Amino acid sequence: MKISTEWLGEYVEIRESPQKLKDDLSMIGLLVEAVEEGESTSVLEVEVTSNRPDCLSHIGVAREVAALYRRPLRHPEKRETLRIEPDRIPYAIEVRDAGLCPRYTALVMDGIRVGESPGWMQKRLRAAGMRPLNNIVDITNYVLLEMGHPLHAFDYDILRGGKIVVSKARQGDRMATLDGIRRELDAEMLLINDAEGPVAIAGVMGGLESEISPTTTRVLLESAYFRPDSIRRTSKKLGLSTESSYRFERGADWDITVAALARVCRLVEDLAGGRIAGSMRDVYPKTMEPVRISLRKQSAAALIGVPMEREFIESTLCRLNFRLEESGPDSWNVTCPTYRADMELEADLIEEIARFYGYQNIPATLPPNRNMGRPSPVSRLENALRDILVGLGFHEAVNLSFADESDAEEFGTGQDERIGVRNPLTEDMKYMRTDLAPGLVRAAKRNFNYGRRTVRLFEIGKVYRAGPDGIPEERNILGILGTGGFTERNWKLPDAGFDFFHMKGVLETLLEGIRLRRCAIEPAGAVRWLNPAEAAALKIEDATCGLMGSLSAALEEKYKLRQPVYLAEIEFGALSGNAFEEIHFRSLPKYPFAERDLSIVVGRDLAWRKIQTCIADLDIAELASVALVDIYEGKKIPSGKLSMTLRLTFRDREKTLTVDRVQDFVDTVLSSLHKTYGAELRSL
Amino acid sequence: MPRSIEELKERFEREFASISGMEAWKSVRDTFLARDSGIITAEMKKLRELPKEERPAFGQAINRLRSTIENRLQERHDELKKAALAGLQSRLDVTRPGFPYALGSAHPIKRLQAEIERIFVNLGFEVFDLTEIEGDYYNFEALNMPRNHPARDAQDTFYFDDTLLLRTHCTSVDVHAMEGRKPPIRAVTTGKVYRRDPFDATHSPMFYQVDVVVIDEGITMGDMKGMLEVFLKQLFHPGIKMRLRPGFFPFVEPGAEVDISCIFCNGAGCPTCKHSGWIEILGAGMCHPKVLRMSGIDDSRYSGFAWGMGIDRVPMLKYGVEDIRLLFDNDLRFLEQF
Ligand SMILES: [Zn+2]
Repeated sequence: MKISTEWLGEYVEIRESPQKLKDDLSMIGLLVEAVEEGESTSVLEVEVTSNRPDCLSHIGVAREVAALYRRPLRHPEKRETLRIEPDRIPYAIEVRDAGLCPRYTALVMDGIRVGESPGWMQKRLRAAGMRPLNNIVDITNYVLLEMGHPLHAFDYDILRGGKIVVSKARQGDRMATLDGIRRELDAEMLLINDAEGPVAIAGVMGGLESEISPTTTRVLLESAYFRPDSIRRTSKKLGLSTESSYRFERGADWDITVAALARVCRLVEDLAGGRIAGSMRDVYPKTMEPVRISLRKQSAAALIGVPMEREFIESTLCRLNFRLEESGPDSWNVTCPTYRADMELEADLIEEIARFYGYQNIPATLPPNRNMGRPSPVSRLENALRDILVGLGFHEAVNLSFADESDAEEFGTGQDERIGVRNPLTEDMKYMRTDLAPGLVRAAKRNFNYGRRTVRLFEIGKVYRAGPDGIPEERNILGILGTGGFTERNWKLPDAGFDFFHMKGVLETLLEGIRLRRCAIEPAGAVRWLNPAEAAALKIEDATCGLMGSLSAALEEKYKLRQPVYLAEIEFGALSGNAFEEIHFRSLPKYPFAERDLSIVVGRDLAWRKIQTCIADLDIAELASVALVDIYEGKKIPSGKLSMTLRLTFRDREKTLTVDRVQDFVDTVLSSLHKTYGAELRSL
Repeated sequence: MPRSIEELKERFEREFASISGMEAWKSVRDTFLARDSGIITAEMKKLRELPKEERPAFGQAINRLRSTIENRLQERHDELKKAALAGLQSRLDVTRPGFPYALGSAHPIKRLQAEIERIFVNLGFEVFDLTEIEGDYYNFEALNMPRNHPARDAQDTFYFDDTLLLRTHCTSVDVHAMEGRKPPIRAVTTGKVYRRDPFDATHSPMFYQVDVVVIDEGITMGDMKGMLEVFLKQLFHPGIKMRLRPGFFPFVEPGAEVDISCIFCNGAGCPTCKHSGWIEILGAGMCHPKVLRMSGIDDSRYSGFAWGMGIDRVPMLKYGVEDIRLLFDNDLRFLEQF
């Protein structure tokens, strides 16, 4: 809302600079976003919150200023009567839906000369951001900006039957509004009709036909009160928001219709030569009562947190035009001004008291704590994963939660279970993502475009799908992407590319870090977005809770990545029950360990897991660990075979191991591997 | 001196001269003095093969050589030890770059999210994990925003159907906490929220929020101010100032807008704070009696406060990130700075 200080000064004396006014108004809840210099006035850009439609006018803001600085408010001159005897022009008002239109006030004027409005009025309209049109329309707009009440002027000679009928539309009704658009109306919309059909959409916009034209000489002026929810519904449905609908839907003042009409009437007489030709009709079948609220001094003090003086409460509310009647010691029955659409409960009055007490004057205190802090289990896991990944050189990404139509086709995941918003912002944000991989791949691609070839990213976030009973499910997923070098190029180590086993190592480190030991990484079945030769699944018992591998050749090609990209996705939400296993301390061994390296030659296709299992099956209690420390293929190794060096670590917790015992163990391991898989000792 | 001894002495001197460090010293010592395989021992063994009359002279010569070698080696040993202690031995070019262990980075928002949760846990809050797909009831109705409420306009919403939507704020934590708990309640939640705003420098259809709610007997606006101050000082800087202005949110009454002193100009006025010295940082207020009642809290006995803050605003303020889109672009040149 643009407020001209020059105009404002007509209703309340202003001694403060615009800057001071800006600061002071902001501190009572009328946020002034900016002060601009207009034609011989300053213009305050006031952000009026949706609960305060009463401040959408110069008098509305003047009321606050008057209350703030304790100055009198100067209303425009009040006019005693809007009647003539007898009416020169007969007309009738019929309100068929008093529920949606509790009050309809109107009068008819003749002798109008349509022309330009005077310069001072045009200047004020422009300062408030409105374009002057002609004196009649300008006058209704002027009074809207002055008093906050929307008014409408019809060309009386266009109205058929000299009659206004306020009623809901009939299905199929159509009319062209002032903006030249032909609109379809529905049976819930409230219309202003003449004897034959619609001439305006009540409280929203007038009709094109009954618009004031240069030849208009007689007008019917409307000053009505419409129900907020009805106007809001119509405005939404039509996608049409106007100065008028904006005020009605927030709550106009039903008690001001006559005063606003009188004000318009006086201005039309003065500026357009009009005279009353048809006396005011005020169709107001059921008197609306102002809101009454009971207020206790103690409640105000208790909610604000400072002791409150009676005198302060009374004077503050009175300055804001509330009427107080004592209902007991330190309590009142408060009658609210009819323009205060936001008043309903005691807390609403307490806010008024607090506003004028000054939020800045309320001392800060701390409530006693009676609760114990509880972190979220998901956050705990998330933070642990993040810390480890950051330490391993990964950067955390955040992608939008939306997915493109093509994600499902390309990555082939969740196509059947994905869910989409009904009103997407753009087509490529139609669905909720079912995977993190597409977002990470696109992020990698973007970084490739900036010239980076080594990219390590991770994202912790939710994916979404339709649940079995149609209720959407959200799962917490960790996605990891690694591609390019294993380290930045350096002089200590030759270049090594980030590969499958780096990614696998990352996962193993994560599992170690969150103490989840019951997890295994196994070969995976077909996964559309992974290269079948390099795909693995993360399993707890038999349940798959993650996938890893290299991006499929097709996607690598499609995104023109030109280098292998390794990905992992883990549903860590599913891990949380198993993570952070209890720590059980074992006392440190008293006897030294013995290490032996065993180099064997085996068939190329023999899986390491089989060797591990074969050794584990021997149940050698003293065998503390088996590590794979070298793999060699080439010279001196028969083709189709390779050599593996196993580092066996032995330890007896009871006594020192003898050389002979260790050799026995090694021999047992070798003979078992020989018997089961034909392993031979590698000759040097 | 016998000729062979003479040659040995020359050999020793040659090898001795080339001793550059302790390793080399040991190797020279072992070459000459090792008990079983040293040259001196080998020479001693030869003694027996010599004619009797030559033995004494040869024996004396070897013993002299042995003691010379021993003395010389001892001196050299002391020198080397001294040099090692003085650190004079290092010839490493320490100016070469160290090994490039990679260090990653936490996303600035996620780091703040964790930090904020930590602050509230320390203040006695329970962290709630809530879903982003929320019912209209929790997002709007139960927060005193019935259908057709004008305040819904400011939160253009993504809908799945008539009742399910992407939450537009985290304020539904108020309702979830009240439904599941009896006062005293201290609850907080953080996470993604969505509004149907096109991308620009300050708007994104997805962003992050934190919402908190406190409900107990005798909670006042002063308590809200105190708790806000503790939180904002921990999050930004102990020296920042805070101010409350009346504001409107349908789920609170009285409502407040909270400003902090501009962290760029310290309140003096600059373009970021539009020369006001203040920056709007969050919305707060005392829980609306209707909201309390709808969720089964006796509003004649309990009162409370709630507030909500955009987390995305914080890196923009704290680190001067000028465009919200950078937060969701995953550009390493951006991420590496945090
Ligand atoms: Zn500033």
